[in-house]
Amino acid sequence: MRCLHLAVLAAAASLVPSARAQGPGFQTPGMPTFGYAGIESSQATRFSSEFNPAFSFVVDALGDYVRYSGRSDDGFDADVRGFELGAMAWVDPKAWAYFIGAMEDEQLAIEEAALHYVGFEENSTLRAGRFFIDFGKQMQVHVHELRTVERPLVLRAYLGEEVKGDGIQWDDWRPVGDKTAVRWSIGAFSSILPEEDEFLPDPAKSVDERKDIQDFSFTARVTGFTDLSDNAILQLGASARVVPDYAVEFEATGDTEEGLDNTVWGLDATYGWIDDTGQRRWTLGAECLVNTGDTGADNPAPGTVDVLDDTVCGYYAFVDYAWSRYGSAGLQFSAVELPDLNASDLSETELYYTHAFSEFQRLRLGLSAIDREDEDAFRVALQYTAVLGAHGHGVNW
Amino acid sequence: MKSRAMSFLCAALLGSTVALAAAPFRADKLKVVATLPELADIVEEIGDGRVEVVTITRGRENLHAVMARPSHLVALNRADMFVQVGLSLEMSFVPGLLEGARNRSIVPGAPGFVSVSERWEPIEVPASLSRQGGDVHPHGNPHMNLDPRAGEFMANAIRDGLVRLDPGSAELYGQRHQAYLQKLAQAKQRWEKLATNFRGKQIVVYHLEYNYLARYYDMEIAGAIEYRPGIPPTPNHLARVIADMKERGVKVIVVAPWSHNNDVERVADATGARIVELPNQAGGMPGADTWIGMMTVIHEKLAAAFG
Repeated sequence: MRCLHLAVLAAAASLVPSARAQGPGFQTPGMPTFGYAGIESSQATRFSSEFNPAFSFVVDALGDYVRYSGRSDDGFDADVRGFELGAMAWVDPKAWAYFIGAMEDEQLAIEEAALHYVGFEENSTLRAGRFFIDFGKQMQVHVHELRTVERPLVLRAYLGEEVKGDGIQWDDWRPVGDKTAVRWSIGAFSSILPEEDEFLPDPAKSVDERKDIQDFSFTARVTGFTDLSDNAILQLGASARVVPDYAVEFEATGDTEEGLDNTVWGLDATYGWIDDTGQRRWTLGAECLVNTGDTGADNPAPGTVDVLDDTVCGYYAFVDYAWSRYGSAGLQFSAVELPDLNASDLSETELYYTHAFSEFQRLRLGLSAIDREDEDAFRVALQYTAVLGAHGHGVNW
Repeated sequence: MKSRAMSFLCAALLGSTVALAAAPFRADKLKVVATLPELADIVEEIGDGRVEVVTITRGRENLHAVMARPSHLVALNRADMFVQVGLSLEMSFVPGLLEGARNRSIVPGAPGFVSVSERWEPIEVPASLSRQGGDVHPHGNPHMNLDPRAGEFMANAIRDGLVRLDPGSAELYGQRHQAYLQKLAQAKQRWEKLATNFRGKQIVVYHLEYNYLARYYDMEIAGAIEYRPGIPPTPNHLARVIADMKERGVKVIVVAPWSHNNDVERVADATGARIVELPNQAGGMPGADTWIGMMTVIHEKLAAAFG
């Protein structure tokens, strides 16, 4: 009799094709319907993988030697600079979403997690979640996706190594004539301050968690690109990043200063040329940035905070030549006025050679020199990057 | 002061963009975007003045690495019909362009989307998918446009697409389609004669893009200079190719305009083989502006190489 009961139960279980991991075997009144099996069938069982996202992994390893003038901490280093896990899929016919987890301090942190709604009749996209800011040509992508070993100095100094924010962004593009397309975007974020400030690590910057809407951080970009000929493209753009209200805190003294604001403006131009066979390419680009408002603060004595209210400028320019799909080399120069009390200047020159073994792995040799008034540095870096799977982001042109 | 100037520039650029972007667009002809020149050629042949065609590639590119231009995005945004080969041949530029163009009437599944390889029986469909095989195409070898039988197949798909979008002109499209098939039949007679020179011969290629052609004429592809599809040759691989060619007496290396490179020259020097540069799409060589013209050039060059 007991065997009969078990057989009946087993047979009943086998008749539930669309059960869910967190849901019931079948739907009963009062249980969740959305996204679960039952009345709202999702054409798959809890054991199906047909509709699973596309996954990807990126490994970015770096070995380098750095020599400083006037310092004793020269030497070699090697580490896995980045490990990235990505997933991407259509949510429904009108939206797709992606997730990028990145290794930070031996933990997997959510670097990007955003939904793109593309169901509008026109060419608009609404993006919501956590994602990299739309500023210039280079801030939307991760460091390992750049042509160079590091992001240009001026971007690191004024915006941050990688700048992501939790917020929304409206994007739209329009044709202008037959050969030009123009895109613009406006984004509002809870915060887009860099996690770490490489150049002014102290004081720590922060924004209030809860605030008025006008105290959100904003980005805006307008860019147009056009065919100059069958072989050449020119892209021009203007960008802005506004942080209207932030605070600084000095760890050593506990002194704070609130109500600071900072805006960075940028203008960029990129020229691309490709030969008839698509093998040889020249790319030239430049971007100049103006960093204005409260660019930082100093704490000369306990209880005293000097706010740096200033306008400083910087730029980068590069030339890159690819002689095949697998080999390219380039030179990048960046100069910047640092937002500190001494208003010191800093420049970085990077010469690089990239050899791609295939579309999915590459080796890069980078030689860079940093020139500062009181200190110089020279670096030789060997970077290995591999991409496994369907890699992609919500990157715009 | 600097920030004010920057604000002004940004505002001016944004203002001019919004003003210029409002221009409307409409024309009576069907606006067609074709990925390759031969597809554009067949659309124009069958469309007979009822179509306005924009072509993405120009004839000499590696089809697996094409850089899309702004004009392509604009043309796709306004297109009534999009024609591609498919089989992931245009994977490097079509998905991104279609996603960016935001034109629902030409996305896969829409009436304006035509993939001429639909219902084509591909060769070399991989049994399992792994990057160990290089740039593997999941649906098989995608270079069906170089098969002598492909003209009729592509023409049928294009006629069907045109009729679907413009049923009022179905009779015209049917007549033009028939006329095109007659031209094809005449060309094929000539190709068959030329093929007597190279049928059953051995060749080495740079990239595996002439496989349909070789198979049609029982030619043997004795090796590829690429290590794997999409992966450049290593010195060891080149040495193996050279040794194999010498051993088997292969005397012809077939390349496309994009793949006529130093590695090919090195192998040719070491083996004494002749390099034959063939078009891999229409538009890349004199006389190869149409699909029939391209196939004629291919047959003539191969016939001369083995003649």
